[in-house]
Amino acid sequence: MNGIFEVNYAAFSVFAALLITEIMGAVGLLVAWPSRSKVLDYIVPVWEVTGTFGALWVVTGDFAYPGLLVPVAEIFTPLLIVFLILFVARNASISFAEFITKRGWLDEEKLYKSYAIATIVLGVVVLVLLSALVGGQGVSLASGSFSIISWATAGSVVFEVGTLLLAVGLAPVLFDLSALRKLVLPLTGLGVVLSVLSYWMMSPGLLTPWMALPVLLTLAVGALYAWPKTSRVVTNKAVFLAVLSVIIFSLQPLVYPKAIGQALPIDTVTTAGAMADAFFSMSVVGGLLLALMLSLYVVVASRGPSGTGL
Amino acid sequence: MVSTSIALILLISISEFLSVRGNDPVYNALARRLSKVFVVSFGVGTASGIVMAVELVGLFPSFMTLVASTGAIVLLYAEISAFFLEVLALVLYVYYWNSFKGKYSHWVVSLFVVLGTLASAVFITMVNAWMNTPNGYDVSAFVNSGFKTVTGVEPFAAFLTVSTVSQVFHVLVTTIFAGTMVIGAYFAYWFVKSRDAGEKAMYGRALKILGVIAVVTIVLAGISGSEEAGALLVNQPLKYAAIEANTVPGTNLPDHFFGSVVNGTYVGGISMPGMQALLARFETGISTLPGLSQFPASTWPPLLVNTTFNVMTVGGLALGVFMFVFLVSLVRKRRPYESRRLLYLWIPAAVLAMLVYQLGWATDEVGRQPWIVYNVMTVAQAANTSDALLVPGVIIVLFYLVVVPATFYFYSRVFQGSSKEAPA
Repeated sequence: MNGIFEVNYAAFSVFAALLITEIMGAVGLLVAWPSRSKVLDYIVPVWEVTGTFGALWVVTGDFAYPGLLVPVAEIFTPLLIVFLILFVARNASISFAEFITKRGWLDEEKLYKSYAIATIVLGVVVLVLLSALVGGQGVSLASGSFSIISWATAGSVVFEVGTLLLAVGLAPVLFDLSALRKLVLPLTGLGVVLSVLSYWMMSPGLLTPWMALPVLLTLAVGALYAWPKTSRVVTNKAVFLAVLSVIIFSLQPLVYPKAIGQALPIDTVTTAGAMADAFFSMSVVGGLLLALMLSLYVVVASRGPSGTGL
Repeated sequence: MVSTSIALILLISISEFLSVRGNDPVYNALARRLSKVFVVSFGVGTASGIVMAVELVGLFPSFMTLVASTGAIVLLYAEISAFFLEVLALVLYVYYWNSFKGKYSHWVVSLFVVLGTLASAVFITMVNAWMNTPNGYDVSAFVNSGFKTVTGVEPFAAFLTVSTVSQVFHVLVTTIFAGTMVIGAYFAYWFVKSRDAGEKAMYGRALKILGVIAVVTIVLAGISGSEEAGALLVNQPLKYAAIEANTVPGTNLPDHFFGSVVNGTYVGGISMPGMQALLARFETGISTLPGLSQFPASTWPPLLVNTTFNVMTVGGLALGVFMFVFLVSLVRKRRPYESRRLLYLWIPAAVLAMLVYQLGWATDEVGRQPWIVYNVMTVAQAANTSDALLVPGVIIVLFYLVVVPATFYFYSRVFQGSSKEAPA
């Protein structure tokens, strides 16, 4: 076990869980604008936290793998710049949308839909990046380059489709859209099958017994929502986010102990010595601060509706 | 954007405090309306921070490898922790405004946002200080290994380099001052333009708070600027020689203004005999000042930094005079924040303040050239020279040329859009 990897991957898991829930909401905003309030009640306070967890993942990644920064810069910079543009566009449009008043051609709906499109495309870009990190498709470590044409293998495409299908399948759970209850389990099941298939297509060695855990957890979420009596457990947004984070965290065999198509042993590129000690010290202090603030948030939020005066 | 964000949250917090203490609905409405603007500012600002973090890896990978192998990354980690404090406190502050029961409890949350915002600024400035005066690892071993091996790492040493205190002090107060002036210009404009008595009362109150912050910070900017010049003289003598345009070392050197160095000789401009030596002795006790001739010409920064430094100091003095007039008028109960003459002047003063602030950064960064980490790694050695960066790089610049003005436009639109709100 590599503690530094675990901390960095935990930050990624929460970031990815938050981003996936935003993608779920973004789809809702595009296809069901009249019932947007269910989506916005969740997304509006959360989008700010998603970005911060993204920053945490990036900085802990820099800290954890200093020797990887040059190859990462060579291989992924163009893709990362596309990611960044979409990220700023998404943040700008949702923050403008929150408080905009109708004047001229620009209004709340256009801005929220811009946010939704930027978020979904951002999700696709992140999935391209992740599939490259998992299976190594499109990545040439020797020449330090990434080719989107080489990336577009069947395994990568099935990875994208499978993950997006999972997001669409689980979206009714997060937003408690009971009219779509019957679709949850079939779509989620299909998403799981495609995702597992994509891992096998990328590299059969990725399918370890550990992979049963995320599969079972994902299906359990869908199954719990299928019955009205148990649906309340998983429609609780904090529970849903926590479970989704655990599912993503349990997918770590895809990149550990080896990433990029089993070509990169993580332990050989992890920081060590005094820097590793500093990493853990800072993680403990930062983690305590984060836990404290999240506890305060839970206490305040549990008092009922936000009661924002804005 | 950082400067306006910091000034905004200070204004919001002080406004809410005054509204609670004096039960003043105008201050309350001001805090509520500005908090919406702050969310927009945070939304674009936080994304831009991530852009910076990722871009640094893409554009300067060797530099970031050094950062990630030394205490500088610890500072960035600390900054992220501050960021979390800011974002979670902000979510509570904005979206759960009415959920707090105690008289001052909601206002206390604003202090956490202030703390998180200021701490983020402090930690990122510490990274810059570390770039100016690197510490916490064996520099010569690193250079001798061809930038391959970092040894003797002390991860927490980067929190306190020899230039940290003076630089953080100066950057913090000048950042607050510049942001305060810019936001003040907005309120000054609307105070003069508005015919609505209620709105004018709100703008006047905002200007009163901003005026006081600006007076305090311009005084501190002068003090910290002097400290910073002294620290430069001691820690970065080449940069000092360049910004003062000292061609040769000496004991009784003049202050040079707006000239240039041609063939190793200072020409044109104004020279104030002995002034530089006098100030340096007063500040540091050092009587022999460095000159460019002591250093290889290949390590000189562009000598344009003498001009940027001069505009910064002269502009800073002009702003000091402006704020002094504001202070005198305030003390004499002339309500300077309602004086049309002063408010008209505030707008060009804000432009000057932002120019001075940007030139300060230009002086710092250009003055360190050719180094990205002083005396360790040059910008050329750190840079990613891949052609693949060109197109996305141009796109991101064009994108920001749209985003930044759009953000300031939305600041105004969001603030004005909620003008019909009844004060709660």
